[in-house]
Amino acid sequence: MDVIPSTTPEEAVRASAKRTADLFGPEYLMVTPSVANGSIGVSYRRKTEYEHVKELPPALAAKQAQAAAARSKRPKISAPPQGAGTGDKSGASTALVRRGGRGPAGGAAGEDKPTSLIQRPSATRQQPPEWHAPWKLMRVISGHLGWVRSLAVEPNNEWFASGAGDRTIKIWNLATGALRLTLTGHISTVRGLAVSPRHPYLFSCGEDKMVKCWDLETNKVIRHYHGHLSGVYTLALHPRLDLLVTGGRDGVARVWDMRTRSNIHVLSGHTGTVADLQCQEADPQVITGSLDATVRLWDLAAGKTMGVLTHHKKGVRGLATHPREFTFASASTGSIKQWKCPGGEFMQNFEGHNAVINTLSVNEDNVLFSGGDNGSMSFWDWKTGYRFQTIDTTAQPGSLEAEAGIMASTFDKTGLRLITGEADKTIKIWKQDDQATPETHPVTWAPTLGRQRY
Amino acid sequence: MTSIAEGLFKSLPKPKYTGEEEELPQHAQRGPRIVGPGQLDETQIVLRRTGPPPYGNRAGWRPRAPEDFGDGGAFPEILVAQYPLDMGRKGTPSTSNALAVQVDAEGKVKYDAIARRGHSDDRIVHASFKDLIPLRQRVDMGEVSLDRPSEEEVEAQMEKTKNALASLVSGAVAAQKPKNVKGGSRAEPTFVRYTPANQMGDTSRKNDRIMKIVERQQDPMEPPKFKHKKIPRGPPSPPPPIMHSPPRKLTAEDQEAWKIPPPVSNWKNPKGYTVPLDKRLAADGRGLQDVSINDKFAQFAEALFTADRHAREEVRLRAQMQQKLAEKEKAQKEEHLRALAQKAREERTRGQASRASRSPSRDRSRSRSYSDASVRSRTPDEDEEAARERERIRRERRQDAERQLRQSRMGTERRIQAMAREQNRDISEKVALGLAKPTQSSETMWDSRLFNQTSGMSTGFNEDNPYDKPLFAAQDAINSIYRPKPQADFDDEADAEGEMSKLQKSNRFEVLGRAKEGFRGAADAEERSGPVQFEKDTADPFGIDSMIADVTGGAGGAGQKRYGIQEAEPESRGSKRARVDEED
Repeated sequence: MDVIPSTTPEEAVRASAKRTADLFGPEYLMVTPSVANGSIGVSYRRKTEYEHVKELPPALAAKQAQAAAARSKRPKISAPPQGAGTGDKSGASTALVRRGGRGPAGGAAGEDKPTSLIQRPSATRQQPPEWHAPWKLMRVISGHLGWVRSLAVEPNNEWFASGAGDRTIKIWNLATGALRLTLTGHISTVRGLAVSPRHPYLFSCGEDKMVKCWDLETNKVIRHYHGHLSGVYTLALHPRLDLLVTGGRDGVARVWDMRTRSNIHVLSGHTGTVADLQCQEADPQVITGSLDATVRLWDLAAGKTMGVLTHHKKGVRGLATHPREFTFASASTGSIKQWKCPGGEFMQNFEGHNAVINTLSVNEDNVLFSGGDNGSMSFWDWKTGYRFQTIDTTAQPGSLEAEAGIMASTFDKTGLRLITGEADKTIKIWKQDDQATPETHPVTWAPTLGRQRY
Repeated sequence: MTSIAEGLFKSLPKPKYTGEEEELPQHAQRGPRIVGPGQLDETQIVLRRTGPPPYGNRAGWRPRAPEDFGDGGAFPEILVAQYPLDMGRKGTPSTSNALAVQVDAEGKVKYDAIARRGHSDDRIVHASFKDLIPLRQRVDMGEVSLDRPSEEEVEAQMEKTKNALASLVSGAVAAQKPKNVKGGSRAEPTFVRYTPANQMGDTSRKNDRIMKIVERQQDPMEPPKFKHKKIPRGPPSPPPPIMHSPPRKLTAEDQEAWKIPPPVSNWKNPKGYTVPLDKRLAADGRGLQDVSINDKFAQFAEALFTADRHAREEVRLRAQMQQKLAEKEKAQKEEHLRALAQKAREERTRGQASRASRSPSRDRSRSRSYSDASVRSRTPDEDEEAARERERIRRERRQDAERQLRQSRMGTERRIQAMAREQNRDISEKVALGLAKPTQSSETMWDSRLFNQTSGMSTGFNEDNPYDKPLFAAQDAINSIYRPKPQADFDDEADAEGEMSKLQKSNRFEVLGRAKEGFRGAADAEERSGPVQFEKDTADPFGIDSMIADVTGGAGGAGQKRYGIQEAEPESRGSKRARVDEED
C-alpha cells in the first residue's frame, strides 16, 4: 500500500467516505450511501424521526402475530406473512411500521427486502399462462363458390364437412384435403353442420329454413325438420340423447326428436336472432347466444330458461364449450367472456380482439381460437385469458380486400389442426409450429399491477 | 332449550289474557243481538258505538275490527296484536303487487327479489355487482372447481331429461294421429230393465220394461260446436338485470363517421333540388381517383425541350454561318468590283492621258450634241404649254402660302372648322336646317330590358325571348283593322284585284294631313274584331228630314237619288217606312 496507483481525487474521497461509514456508520447515524435506500437524507430522517416506532408496542405486536397466524390458516393466502407489516391486506392498520431487522443502516443486510415503507397489499399469485406453440397456415382448400359458413369434423377424424354460400355441402378428406363428396339439396346458404357420433347421420341447416338429416350411407336426405319460421343459423346435437337443437333468425331454439322429427320444445325468450348454440350433457344442456346481446342457459327437461347472461354489450355470435372443463366462452363484438357452467358465473375476459368475432373454438389443450369478421385471428390460453398469438388471415389471390374474414372454425378431433372457413371461399387448415419452443417464442406476460381482489 | 324456555317463562309475570277461555264482553260483540220479546227491557238498550271507548273505560277492551281503530293507528298501551286498516293481517288476499322488502343473511336488502319475481327459485339471476367481478378475483370465493360433473350425476340428469322428453314426444306423436274422428266408434248399446215404482198410491202391478240405451248417432262431418278461444298470455316474467354499462353516448365523430351523403346524380334530379357545385363534383367521382402521371411523361417533356433547344441552337449557328458566308461573299464581290473599278479607272486614266494627248475637243462636242437634241425635240406650242403649266403651279403655290399664312393667324376653333370643311365633315349647316339630330345617348347606353325589373336578368327574364315587347307593336292593331276581303262574287277577278289594291292604297281618311290624330272619340271606342257594325240612325227628333223632304219636294228627291221604279212613289211612304224601321 505504499504506492497508490493513480487514483483521482473523487475516487479517493469516495473510498474514504465508504471506509468511514463502514467503521462508524452504525454508531454515529451515518448511513451507507447505497443506491437501493435512496438518499442519505431519507435514511437519516427515517432513523431520527421513526426510531421510536421501530418496535411495536408489546400488546399490538401480540395481536398482530395472532392475526397473522389466523390468516395463514386460510388457504387462499399464498404469500407467507413475513415480519410485521408486510402482507397486511386487512387495511386495518395503516400506521407506519418498521420492519424487523436492523433496517437499512445495516448496509448490505437490507438490500434484498423491498425498500418502500408502505407496501401494496400483495395480490394473490396470478397464474402465469401456459406456453402454446404458435399456429401457422398449413393448407388452403379452394373449392367452394361461396363463403364457407359452417364446418364439422367427423368423429373418426377422417373427413370433415363444410357448408357454404354456394348451397352445397362438401366433404373433404382431412388428411389430404381432397374433395370426397358434394351434397346438394339446400336452396340457400348452409349455415350449420353436425355429424352425429352415434348415427351415420349428417345434419345440416340453412338460411332456407330447412333442417336436413343426411344418411351418410346412401348420401341422401332422409328427414326434414320443419318448423322454423326463418333462416336456421346454427345447430347442435345432444351428446347423449337423440336430440337435435337448432336456432335461427326467428329468435327461438327448437329441440327436435331425431327419429320422430317432432318439435319437442320451442326455447323462446331471445328477442333477436339466435346466432350460436351449444349442447352439453349436464345442465345447462343447451346454451344459446343471440344477437340481442344475451346468452341464455336452458333447462332442457322443462324447456325453460335457467338463466340469462347479460354481460355482453353487442350481439353474441360465438360460443364454445370446453371439452374437459365445465366452462364455456361467449364472444360478441370486441369482447370474449368465459363463464363457469352450472350457474353461469362470470370467470374472465379475453381482452384484445377488437373485431366482430364470428366464431370461437377451443381444443383440449386449452387453446381458444377466435376468428374475426375482418380476418383477424387470435389464439388464447383458456385458463388465463392470455393471448399468445394474433395473426391476420390472407385472402386467396384474386379476392377482394374485404373478403378476408373468418366465418366458421373448428378444431379437429385431436385438437392439432384448426380448420377455418373463410369469406374468401376457401377452407384453411392451420397447425402448430413444430420448431417453436418456449425459447423461440417466449411468453411475454407480466402480472398486472391492478387490484386483484374485490 | 326447553329448560331455558321454562326458566324464561317462570321469570315472566303471569299473562293477563290467555285468550282461550275468554268470554267476549258485551260491548265487544258485534252484529245485531236477537233477543226475545220478554228479554228486552229499557236498561238493555244501549247505543251502539263505533270507535274506541273513551279513556278510562278501556280496561279489558281490545280493538278487533277496523272500525275499532277509528281511522287511527294501533293502541300501543293495549298489548295485543292489532291490525289497523287490516295492515299485516295474515290470510287476507292482498291486492297490492308491491314486493315486501327481503333481506339476506347479512341483513342487506335483497334487491334481486324484483328480478326473481315470477321465476322459480332455482332460476339463475345475476343481479349484484359481485357478479361482474371475475370469479377468481372475488374476495369470498374459495377454491373454484371447474370439473365436469361426474358420470353418475350426468346419468341421473340424462334419465330425468329423457323421461321428461319421452312423455312430450309421445304426446306429440299422439297429437299427430287422427283422434277426433267423430262417429267412428260407437259404444255398445246398454240394456236396462225398468220396473216402475208405485206412485201416488197406485199400487197396481206394472210390467217390467227393458230399455236399450244407444249413443246418439253423430254426424261425422259436423263442424265443431265450440269455438276455440285463445287464452291471453300471462304477464311476462321480469327481464333479466342488465349486467353491462349503458352504451356510450354517440359522439359527433361517430355520427360523422356514419353519415352517408345523399346520392347526387349528374343526370337525374327529378325533384329539382339545387345541388351545390362541390357536391356535383364530388358525385362525379372524378376527384376520387388522384391522377398519377407516369414518370416517362416528365422525361419525354424534358427530352423534347432539350431537343428543341438543340435544334434551335443548330439553326442559329447555321444562320450565323450562312450570314458570315454571305458577308464574306459580299465582301469578296465588293473587293472584286473595287478591283474592277480600280482597274477601269486606271485604264481610263491611262487612256485619257493618251487621248488628251491626241484629241482634247472630244468632250465639248459631246455636250453640244446633247443640247442640240433637246432643242431640236421641242416645238413652239409645247413651250407655251409648259410655260402655262409652270405659271399655274406657281399660282397655286402662292395661294397655298397665303392660306397657310391666314391659317396661322386664325384661332384654333376656326382652324379646326376650316379643316373639317375641307374634309367635308362640317355639319353645322345641316344642324341648323334640322337635318341632322344628335344621337339620343341615354337610349343607347341602357339596356331597356333591365328597366322596371326587380332584380335584373335573374327574375322572369326569358333567355329565349330577349324582347320584352314585340318589335312591331303596331302590327296587331294593323292586322285587326278591317279590310274588305276580295269577294268571290266579283264578276271579274282582275277587276276585283284592281279594286282591292286601289282601296288599300288610297288613304281615304287622310284629310289635309290630319289623319294621324284620328277622329274624335275614336280612341275611347272599344276595340273591335270584325267589320264595323253601323247603326242606322233613324231617329229624327225634330222632323228635320221630313221637313227637308217636304221642302225639296219631288225635285229634291229626284236630285238626291233615283230608285228607278220607286221614283213615282210619294215621300210619305218613305217616311212611313222609316218610322216602321224605327219601331223594330
